[in-house]
Amino acid sequence: MSWSRAWRRKFIINSLLAAALLCLAGCGGSSSGSGSGSSSPPPPVNNTQPIEVNLGPANDYPNGLFTSVTICAPDTSDCQTISNVLVDTGSYGLRLLSSQVSVNLPADSNNSNSQLQECINFADGTYIWGPVASADIQLAGEKAKSVPVQLIYSPSDPTAPPVPSGCGSGGGTADNTVTALGANGILGIGVFQQDCGATCESSTSSNMYYLCPNSVCQGTTVPIDLQVQNPVPLFPQDNNGLLLSLPSVAASGAPTASGSLIFGVGTQSDNSLGSAQVYTLNTSTGDFQTIYNKVDYNQSYIDSGSNAIFFLNSTTANMPDCTNNPGFYCPASTAKFTVINQGLNRTSNPLTFSIANADSLFSANGGLNAAFNDLGGSNGANTSSAYFDFGLPFFYGRSVFVGIENKTGPNGVVGPYWAY
Amino acid sequence: MKILAATLVSVLLVSAPGWAVLGEYENSVASDQQHMHAQMHETAQQGYSVKELNTTEGRTVREYVSPKGMVFGVSWQGPAMPDLRQLLGPYFGQLQQAAQSRRRRGGPLVVKTKDFVLVSGGHMRAFHGLAYVPSLLPEGISAEAIR
Repeated sequence: MSWSRAWRRKFIINSLLAAALLCLAGCGGSSSGSGSGSSSPPPPVNNTQPIEVNLGPANDYPNGLFTSVTICAPDTSDCQTISNVLVDTGSYGLRLLSSQVSVNLPADSNNSNSQLQECINFADGTYIWGPVASADIQLAGEKAKSVPVQLIYSPSDPTAPPVPSGCGSGGGTADNTVTALGANGILGIGVFQQDCGATCESSTSSNMYYLCPNSVCQGTTVPIDLQVQNPVPLFPQDNNGLLLSLPSVAASGAPTASGSLIFGVGTQSDNSLGSAQVYTLNTSTGDFQTIYNKVDYNQSYIDSGSNAIFFLNSTTANMPDCTNNPGFYCPASTAKFTVINQGLNRTSNPLTFSIANADSLFSANGGLNAAFNDLGGSNGANTSSAYFDFGLPFFYGRSVFVGIENKTGPNGVVGPYWAY
Repeated sequence: MKILAATLVSVLLVSAPGWAVLGEYENSVASDQQHMHAQMHETAQQGYSVKELNTTEGRTVREYVSPKGMVFGVSWQGPAMPDLRQLLGPYFGQLQQAAQSRRRRGGPLVVKTKDFVLVSGGHMRAFHGLAYVPSLLPEGISAEAIR
């Protein structure tokens, strides 16, 4: 184990201290177990964070969903608000370009003073490399304390250890500038609590966490609590999930779309499930099942960080690839698809969406539109190992609930689940 | 090893001998299994065989081997992206030539060059994908076999 007892003890004491402080504010209840002590819940806080779809800080990100995140050095008022952070239900944890971070965040280090480093290899081949640090994170009125976050090294940061060979092994480039990332950071608020989980506690095979004493990086295991964390389950309240609400947009698109990221599910009057249907998910993958043309696509997922609905291929979808924008579908006329989505709990309902010609969408309105509910592309999958990636177009005109793993939502439903 | 009657032939602990990379013969290189503490199964299919490595962390890597012993396809599934540099061998370089629109963001990767196909999808904690070399597909075997 790379993490010394002394270091972990420090971490645990900090955690206990934080819990005790929270209790000073909110834990009025007695331990006697009788209800007469009236253990009142903490007073409700503002749980609504504004979000907006626009082209992002590099002005080239269609269907980019962004928000502002306030970070502070733990237990201080040394804070900073960072705008244009991508809201991503397909990842877990806050990652920020170090070039955008001015507040001094303490590094997460082991007892040899070696800083924990992390590599994220994304499915599209791009990667992120940078150290893990601690920050208090504030979103709306919700505050998570001392959360491990990842800072992303700038291209020529002299303090950066050399990128290990397992990092960037997806063949793509580093997302280490605003131009490359198309954002100032990524706020991962999907269904899992950590970016790796139990795997990285026992194994280095995921090529995610490293220690680099003397600039030689070696994989390290990391206790779950010290991994980069989804901040939502760490809020004192409204911590069992969230919902994303975006307005409808016209079929030809819109320059922007403003909506809300609301924390908690069924915890306040503004986040009840209402008529939303709950789809529970595979607890290890966070996926559910999509059925199209009687074929099961059982690795399907909902991902606000994917900027289109990525599904089928040109042959099975019967739509050509675009000439000007390869990777997107360019049907001659808008095509309508009806699929069935099904949860592990057997909740099963049809879903209809449309795919328009992406070359036309991107050139409409002088190329100024950013929000498209009908943008699609191939995921290249053959019929035997396939999935639907319900990206941001899926989110327009509905409330989409994210139920976090091991957290209980309305009517006793336990995450991971989606509801819409 | 070429005349395999049953589907499941062997289960053995790594180090798995004969583990190769895309486009090379199965007995050529053994690199990837070194840090994959995995169990290997070998399965015979009509016209090809499949070597499958499974780890306790839920990672699966499959290699599709022609009757001549050439690896014509690979696939993967697991909580993290595999090391494609190791898995793709000489074809890794073709990844960097992928010509997708810059407007395509945060989704799956689809690479189709003259003689190389790769798809990579999923999200954090659940990745999957496959790659193959069309010209190396054994006669009568379709790319659909790779899963």
